Amino acid sequence: MTDTGSRSVLRTETFACVRCGLTVTALAPDGRRRNHCPSCLHSRHILDHVEGGPSECRSRMTPISIAVPRNGDWMLIHRCVRCGELTSSPLSGDDNQLLLMRLAVRPLAQPPFPLEGFGDL
Amino acid sequence: MPRRKPHQHRPQRRKEVRPGPGGGQGDAFRCVGCRLEVPLAAPGTAHRNHCPTCLTSLHVDRRVPGDRRSTCRGRMTALGVEVRGDGEWVIIHHCLACGELSANRIAGDDNALALLRVALRPLSGPRLPLLQRAAL
Repeated sequence: MTDTGSRSVLRTETFACVRCGLTVTALAPDGRRRNHCPSCLHSRHILDHVEGGPSECRSRMTPISIAVPRNGDWMLIHRCVRCGELTSSPLSGDDNQLLLMRLAVRPLAQPPFPLEGFGDL
Repeated sequence: MPRRKPHQHRPQRRKEVRPGPGGGQGDAFRCVGCRLEVPLAAPGTAHRNHCPTCLTSLHVDRRVPGDRRSTCRGRMTALGVEVRGDGEWVIIHHCLACGELSANRIAGDDNALALLRVALRPLSGPRLPLLQRAAL
């Protein structure tokens, strides 16, 4: 298949989210391939990051936190519900902002120590 | 401060391998990040796997915590904070050498300021998605 042919197939390719069942286009608005549902942010364990290559697990991955690497972009950390492996993936433009903010502020909503003392620092 | 949610007890994995020279001796290790001597005994956890001062860890485990099967031994820095269902914080570590991620429970003597800095990092950066949306 030619390069333009494979790209047009990719443009119309869709997948169904493993959690919410939403039919999602495989390409994000910025042209990159997505790896999580923009509505519920859940993903699927396709790649094995410890050994490398495809994973046998193919189970659902829940979003657990937001991470910020050096360049300042937000990354979404997923954990596989079956084998517990962690992956990080970049966000796409149409991801659910409400769920993203929920993940970002959740540590501050349940602090393990009182935050009042930090006001004096 | 008492926990806001009732603590659901979750049994820890048994740890066979003790860190230190020779794999068995020593009750302290030296942090690769800040070079402080860190005692192995940690309040609130049986597995000391990161420095309580700078939260840096070492990539020694492969899949199961405590298996010591990784050949990487790179430095792991705190990337983010996850909250478990019972309200407990878990640090997400990121290996600077191979890019592997791991999740480690916080200990009772971890530096609260360092933990809060990691937790606030998504909200303090200029790339806050909601603010970008509002500026448009």
